[in-house]
Amino acid sequence: MGVNRQSPNWVLLSLMLVSVVAWLFLDALNVAPNRIVPGTPYTSLEVMGGWPALLLGLPLLGVAVLAWQPSRKGLQCSLAVVVAVLMLLPLWLAAATVGFVDADAPQARVGIGSALWLLLFLLLLAVIELRTRLGVSRAKGWLLFMPMLASWWLALTLWLEPLALVREYRVRSDQFASAVYTHLMLVGAAVGVSLLLAAVLVLVMRRQPAVRRIGFAALNFLQTIPSLALFGLLLAPLAWLGSRIDWLGNMGVSGIGWAPAFLALLGYSLLPMVRNIFVALEEVDAGVIESARGMGMSRRQVFVQVRLPLALPVVLEGVRITTIQAIGLTAVAALIGAGGLGTFIFQGLGQAAMDMVLLGALPIIALALVADALIGALSERLRLGGAQ
Amino acid sequence: MIELFDVTKRFGDETAVNAISLRVAKGELCALVGTSGCGKSTTLRMINRLIEHDGGEIHLDGEPVRSFDEVTLRRRIGYVIQSTGLFPHWTVSRNIGLVPRLLKWPKERVRDRVEELMQLLGLPVAEFADKYPRQLSGGQAQRVGVARALAADPDILLMDEPFGALDPITRATLQDEMRALQARLHKTIVFVTHDMDEALALADRLVVMHQGRIVQQGSPIDLLHEPANPFVESLLGGLDRGLKEAALIQVGERMLPFGPRLLASERIPYGASLSQALSVMLWHRVDRLTVVDEEDIPIGELSLRRLLGAKAP
Ligand SMILES: Nc1ncnc2c1ncn2[C@@H]1O[C@H](COP(=O)(O)OP(=O)(O)O)[C@@H](O)[C@H]1O
Ligand SMILES: [Mg+2]
Repeated sequence: MGVNRQSPNWVLLSLMLVSVVAWLFLDALNVAPNRIVPGTPYTSLEVMGGWPALLLGLPLLGVAVLAWQPSRKGLQCSLAVVVAVLMLLPLWLAAATVGFVDADAPQARVGIGSALWLLLFLLLLAVIELRTRLGVSRAKGWLLFMPMLASWWLALTLWLEPLALVREYRVRSDQFASAVYTHLMLVGAAVGVSLLLAAVLVLVMRRQPAVRRIGFAALNFLQTIPSLALFGLLLAPLAWLGSRIDWLGNMGVSGIGWAPAFLALLGYSLLPMVRNIFVALEEVDAGVIESARGMGMSRRQVFVQVRLPLALPVVLEGVRITTIQAIGLTAVAALIGAGGLGTFIFQGLGQAAMDMVLLGALPIIALALVADALIGALSERLRLGGAQ
Repeated sequence: MIELFDVTKRFGDETAVNAISLRVAKGELCALVGTSGCGKSTTLRMINRLIEHDGGEIHLDGEPVRSFDEVTLRRRIGYVIQSTGLFPHWTVSRNIGLVPRLLKWPKERVRDRVEELMQLLGLPVAEFADKYPRQLSGGQAQRVGVARALAADPDILLMDEPFGALDPITRATLQDEMRALQARLHKTIVFVTHDMDEALALADRLVVMHQGRIVQQGSPIDLLHEPANPFVESLLGGLDRGLKEAALIQVGERMLPFGPRLLASERIPYGASLSQALSVMLWHRVDRLTVVDEEDIPIGELSLRRLLGAKAP
């Protein structure tokens, strides 16, 4: 503290400098009269006379200066500035939109340009970097994003109707809700069922070394098949099953749709799940197990009271990885008609409508982040073993 | 009483323990010493059947260990290991209460017993009961380990290098406490260590193992005086053997009560060891010490001649 010269925080410094350059020189907005005509790009300096853009860039330069010789105070200050800028961004966007779009062009749509996306991304990274440097706890860290979310919500409900993303959403709000639902159901089912299956499989594997070898080999092999190929492989047998066995057919089992998607997801989820549960159980400190047995605990008692609770955080780590992976893979499953958020991505790609792609991609990223945070927090709690 | 008759254990082609016979009388502390890998831990674990023996017989109070259910057997035997093996997700008091709870003691009795043991081992209840193992120092954790092993008041205690991971000062403290504890509780203890000083300080009977066999056993003094072969001799300290023996004898045993003429200038407590007395003499270059009791009152005299074991002039 204090007297010593601190070495510059290069991460923060470069994040800030790149942010400022991107913000001032890349396209911030893209305005089109309707969905078909390509829009005109504008940099932030061309919007509202440029002053607001400069005013928004100045604090970031300030943070860059503070990063040159970081002190705890300076870092706290930087965090406040970055959070504030993140909060101001949607408001700036709202002001720009209101200013740009005439009342007599009801079809006009505003696209978010690369400058804004990049700024958003870089500033979020900066928040994470500062959070780590300052040792902010996980729970408090999430609170940092609240002002930003609140201001986005405000801007979206009040002023951002002309935003292309919003327009895409408005025409498909029902479809969107059902896509989110399908996506969550597929992920939930795949993760849930794979957790159960993996638990059973691991219990057998721990008893039988032969099963262990074959099991891991098979799962590893499954993992190497590209997802689209796996969907393809499942197509024929499932179509056959669906047509031959009535009740399966009635459930909707066929070569395309949810059934092959679910099976493929299950296949991919099984390996990380099995591997984590297996390692978690094996890795429990041998001394602890030895003393548990030495004290006279029965096999069951050792497993239920010692091995399992100590393995649980690592098991949850497996659930976390599997869930995030499944959220991403489910997007691909849209290609075989499984539904879910991937539908928007592929339709959007087909129509060259980037905003529709975003309508699918952004919620997928959000889902992954939320799942990551929730399960991570749970596992951290368990790791503390109830202490503190 | 623990008896081993021709006990053998093989792991694959390797014979870890080779036809050893051993008898540990009730209330005796038997130290197993030897270089690492010589089969000490294996011998210990065969007694509570964490490892099953391949040949020979192991008896507790005259009954073969195989005649007991293994879980019941282990609950009757305390077990302490070097890494403590405390459950990291349980508090200190829950760890200590493990065996009584396994034995389905009523709640209050478990609680009382846990508090009694924490006091016995110098762990203030208010401070430590709700701590988790990772919040303890090495010495505190091993105290909890010993308390846990004693919880159901077993007659037999198996200890596998319990103080091996501790710093020298903590280790010496725990050895002293261990000796005091044993003087009170008279457990039948098998104590594995590779630290000869620890073995000499604690053991009633010393068993030296080498490559799965017992090469010599007897009281520490017997082994010091008549090591069976050069291996035992070097294990016992070679040229340092004289000092090691002197460390086992108290000043009080050799002093001349009610010193004559003048008090010697340097003092030594009567409970100190002869090796410490010798050290004081060397340091101050004197050949006479005044022996004092706990209140620092002179009660005798120790001359170099008497220290060496010669009769008084
Ligand atoms: N579970 C086991 N499987 C195979 N070999 C073992 C096992 N336990 C011990 N051994 C072998 O038996 C020998 C004696 O080991 P151990 O009793 O642990 O020695 P010590 O405690 O005296 O250091 C060593 O050579 C060790 O490698
Ligand atoms: Mg050992």
